[in-house]
Amino acid sequence: MKVLLIEDDHETSAYVARGLREHGHVVDLAESGRDGLFLATGGGHDVLIVDRMLPGLDGIALVQALRETGVKTPVLFLTALGGVGDRVRGLEAGGDDYLVKPFAFAELMARVNALARRPPLAERQTVLRAGDLEMDLLKRTVTRAGVEVDLLPREFQLLEFLMRNADRIVTRTMLLEAVWDFHFDPKTNIVETHMSRLRAKLARNGGGELIYTVRGAGYVLRTPGAESA
Amino acid sequence: MSGPVFPRLLRTTSFRLAALYVAVFAGSALVLGVAIFLQARAALQEQMDARIESEAAFLQGEFRKEGREHLVAVVQARGKGANALDYLVEDAEGRHLAGEIPAGRGLGPGWTRIDVPQATEDGGRPETVRALVVDLDNGAVLAVGGDLQQIDDLEEAIVKAFVWTIGPAAALGIIGGAGLSRVFLARVDAISRTVEAIISGDLARRVPTRGTGDDLDRLAAMLNHMLDRIAVLMGSLRQVSTDVAHDLRTPLTRLYQRLEEARAEGRSAAEYEAAIDAARAEAEGLLDTFSALLRIAQVEGASPHAGFREVDLSAVAEAVCDAYRPDAEEAGHVLTAAIAPGVRIRGDQELLTQALANLVENALRHTPPGTRIQVRLEGSSGHPVLSVEDDGPGVAPGDLPRLTERFYRGERSRTSPGNGLGLSLVNAIAELHGAELSLNEMKPGLRVSLSIRQD
Repeated sequence: MKVLLIEDDHETSAYVARGLREHGHVVDLAESGRDGLFLATGGGHDVLIVDRMLPGLDGIALVQALRETGVKTPVLFLTALGGVGDRVRGLEAGGDDYLVKPFAFAELMARVNALARRPPLAERQTVLRAGDLEMDLLKRTVTRAGVEVDLLPREFQLLEFLMRNADRIVTRTMLLEAVWDFHFDPKTNIVETHMSRLRAKLARNGGGELIYTVRGAGYVLRTPGAESA
Repeated sequence: MSGPVFPRLLRTTSFRLAALYVAVFAGSALVLGVAIFLQARAALQEQMDARIESEAAFLQGEFRKEGREHLVAVVQARGKGANALDYLVEDAEGRHLAGEIPAGRGLGPGWTRIDVPQATEDGGRPETVRALVVDLDNGAVLAVGGDLQQIDDLEEAIVKAFVWTIGPAAALGIIGGAGLSRVFLARVDAISRTVEAIISGDLARRVPTRGTGDDLDRLAAMLNHMLDRIAVLMGSLRQVSTDVAHDLRTPLTRLYQRLEEARAEGRSAAEYEAAIDAARAEAEGLLDTFSALLRIAQVEGASPHAGFREVDLSAVAEAVCDAYRPDAEEAGHVLTAAIAPGVRIRGDQELLTQALANLVENALRHTPPGTRIQVRLEGSSGHPVLSVEDDGPGVAPGDLPRLTERFYRGERSRTSPGNGLGLSLVNAIAELHGAELSLNEMKPGLRVSLSIRQD
């Protein structure tokens, strides 16, 4: 994967770039908004990681300018501003995701992976499949090896998110945002509890484990035969 | 601040208003005076002309009836009165026969002005008379004149009266304006002095008020109100700085100690790993505390209603209960909900969700297993009440009023994880939404409620 990182803080950009390269990705670096815009319009990147506060041209203006010129590369905003309004402004400007500093590298990696392979809207299917698991998004039903699994609405959403990101790590924070619309960190085990109930329901009629816990990172739904993420 | 008083006096609003008022008053009085003056003069002249005309007609009649000798006698008799007119009877050769008006000027018939020399009156100055000249038979002339001095005197009297009225009125106006301005200036100076004292550090000073409720008093009261509010905010800011310094010292010290220990005693890779994990956990806790503080500051600093949308409060409450129910069940709690449907308010959905989540989390964390927790949403869209109630052990009586303070943790929860900022955030969110957060002892248990009032 080819990632463009636009970040003026050397410590952060070195940390992120090193991590991405260790995972086998190609990283381009830009230290100002103008350089970033220039490199981004050149294209060829799978994901842009953009700091909100940049010298020359701030992150929001940069992404707006990019979107106006028709560049649709997914954008992950990095920011030290964690306010509600900041996130909304970032997403309205054309950002696709938002990560507040300080962050764990695993969180960044998971979000970059999710963005890079996010299917375009038009291609969204009405049936999701992962191994012997099948989810009908219109009928809101889930079957495993042909046997219907009865899920509560929240469990259904949780499984849908995991299946859309099959074989990719999703973090606890990503799940909280996507499934519960919680943009804060609950001090209790909401995700863990729901996850264990979902696992139990999926395993009720036999079949192997589908959802794995990745220590220190999050969860992954593995499809049999796929490379481990 | 206090330059020479006089020029400052002239610049005050009250003085300028007074001066303007005096000028307008004087102007209108002048217009009135001129009008009266002109009217009076015209009336007097008309009156005099009428008197002269009738006198001339009468004398002409006497002349026709009785002849010249009789006329001369009548004129001489009439000229002696105190308020008499001036006369002249002249024969065809221009010889003076009777009256004070000198003869021999070749007067033609009609209205004219004649100077009459005076022997004694007015220091011998000639007086001007307005005269009507009439031709008698065979070249003789009769003239009847009225003294213009009377009219002049009256005109002078009118002018004097106006000068005497406008002068003192203007003087009084100016003096009054200056006086008012002095009072005004004194009060403005008092406010300035207070502000100067506050700028130089005496924050407890307040602008003096008189209790009269006039505009300056209202301004002073508003200033004082503003100063009180700023004082409260500064106090809370100072409190926060102290709290932050105090409460962040402990985890920072622990972090430092763990790193020191790892450096001094770590031997195996596993021991290093354990030390790093412990240090990381401390750092995470610190970051959590910082982001909680930042969030409280953002909420407290947010302008009310900015970014507010219509929020389905019932849906928010349902979502939070739904999210925490499995968790509560795992922990042996009973989480029930009694949520009135369709309650909508204007607000920030994310913050409201977080506020309710914090309250539910508090109840989950600070009560033993088996505790019943009820989330309740009652009332209408205009005045909903959102509450979380438990039948747990409640809080120590002394803790109740202090629970919303930053970093404050009740005696019974000192040992459980948490940073003591949860209720502070709820309180800030409540204030942003114009809601009142109240904590009530239920004996047993605690009821925390958000009473929202929107118009």
